[in-house]
Amino acid sequence: MSEFGLSGPSIDGPLGRWLDRLARAFALGGGAILVAMTVMETVSISLRALAGAPIPGDFELIKMGTAIAVVAFLPYCQLVKGNFIVDFVLAKAPDRVKSAMDALGGLALGFIAAVLLWRMTLGGMDLRASADKSMVLSLPIWTAFPPILLSLALLVFVSGYVFWRDLKAAVR
Amino acid sequence: MTGPELGAAGFVVLLILLALRIPIAIGLMVVGLTGYSLINGVGPLLNYLKTAPFWTYHVYDLSVVPLFMLMSQFATKAGLNAALFRAANLWLGHRRGGVAMATIGACAGFGAICGSSIATAVTMARVALPELRRYRYSGALATGTLAAGGTLGILIPPSIVLVLYAIITEANIITLFQAAMIPGILAAIGYVIAIGIYVRLRPDAGPVGDRASRREQWRGLFDVWPVLLIFVLVIGGIYVGIFTPTEGAAVGAFGTGVIAFTKGRMGLNDFLECLVGTAVPTAAIFMVLLGSEFFNAFLGFTRMPLILAELIGESGLSPMTVLVVVLIFFIALGCIMDSFAMILLTVPVLWPIIAGLDFGLDGEETKIWFGIIALIVVEVGLITPPVGLNVFIINSFAKDVPMTQTYKGVVPFLLSDAVRVALLVLFPAITLTFPRLMS
Repeated sequence: MSEFGLSGPSIDGPLGRWLDRLARAFALGGGAILVAMTVMETVSISLRALAGAPIPGDFELIKMGTAIAVVAFLPYCQLVKGNFIVDFVLAKAPDRVKSAMDALGGLALGFIAAVLLWRMTLGGMDLRASADKSMVLSLPIWTAFPPILLSLALLVFVSGYVFWRDLKAAVR
Repeated sequence: MTGPELGAAGFVVLLILLALRIPIAIGLMVVGLTGYSLINGVGPLLNYLKTAPFWTYHVYDLSVVPLFMLMSQFATKAGLNAALFRAANLWLGHRRGGVAMATIGACAGFGAICGSSIATAVTMARVALPELRRYRYSGALATGTLAAGGTLGILIPPSIVLVLYAIITEANIITLFQAAMIPGILAAIGYVIAIGIYVRLRPDAGPVGDRASRREQWRGLFDVWPVLLIFVLVIGGIYVGIFTPTEGAAVGAFGTGVIAFTKGRMGLNDFLECLVGTAVPTAAIFMVLLGSEFFNAFLGFTRMPLILAELIGESGLSPMTVLVVVLIFFIALGCIMDSFAMILLTVPVLWPIIAGLDFGLDGEETKIWFGIIALIVVEVGLITPPVGLNVFIINSFAKDVPMTQTYKGVVPFLLSDAVRVALLVLFPAITLTFPRLMS
């Protein structure tokens, strides 16, 4: 379960420590965006109450910020195995079986994340070419893509690493 | 294979994957994307993936989820869980079973600033479990109380599950938050009554605690002013329409963060810990959200949910029969699956079925009423032996209490839940009166 547990083999080796540091940095970056959102909304509401005019287009920044922050959270969640699983049928299975299934899940996610990285790079370029902008602030939509793509790239690496770690645990 | 058959096959494959420990989100993605390409071909799938994930996350109301997560992280750092328990215990502790009742009260209070049930259970277990054991409460009552009390976290607004339900069914989040209020208070009262009856039957299970002076009692109550302030500001502001849910959540998180700082309980390291602590559960929810987007895109093409809803609508089954079957299914699934994942997985298929039936309410009210009942029933699954998730988590905090004792401990709370669900199903007015008054 995500809220409290870090299960699975511990993070070790230089590669693991590097990915851990990087994924944590991304999670903190996403968190910083959230904190900025709380400050912006508090200011906006105060302005609305005092001066009658909120920060214009704040909801556009909220939407962009949420999308960027949330994707930045994904690599760390995968690294610490925070994703929801149904631990019922295989609850009493040997650890090696569990590790083998976890490896399979990691492999699948790594593949999906890689496909998303590829397709969304193209999607971002499409949006840039079509020059889609937000309504109030005229913020180009594509500007949200570079940070999202970076997070996805890290997710590919992290999934690969988790897969390899679980595979080692399964065949040990 | 015809469309609906493919849809049904997709469900079977998904269940097999989930049984094999594949994370729920990844199972949804694999089946959804494979099904999508089988129906439409690989080209359209690749096209769909260019921007679909971005638009799935680029949603205003979704920002409520991480913001409320952040708020409950700050609230724990500010020590509000401990303050709540202390205050409730000063007022109730001297009664028989009073420390357990105080735990329920504190859980309800924490639920008013936290939107997740496992987070509430874990947070309150840290402060209440040692006290319950110190006053020689039986292991069964102590762990049962905490497992059940945790479910108040999600019922009493703000509730993250309700936000997800609102987004799937396009319901009004504010109305849902209003509708959850009375059932949430009823839940807390029902649990206190359950404890009262239990300790009457088993007096050694919940011995009396210390009696505090009036002065201490009021002091304790004074210490929980931040909770009251945040709750009135955030939920009150959302209820009367001063804030959107996002604004309320943002202001709440900001205010709670400031309280944690000014109380001197949050240094830089704690602050960073809160951010990482927000990241993991948020990411887990959004992974499932993306998975269910893929899966439902596929299901939509198969027309399976529509045809299923039509079949059930024409089957001549009474609406109540269908509802009861759906609720039993929810309880069964809730035993093994997290409530966030469950709502995202099942509501897209089950809501059209319920929407096609006549319960004597208009469409919008049926949506609200069903959402609240579904939420409660999912939570009942969380404390149902032998598999309820909350039961496991709380038991892991109390190493000296055997699992079987915890199972026995949740029984009185399950009975209370059963009575409450029956009341809410039979009398929709309990749920709907408050939103009607507010509108």
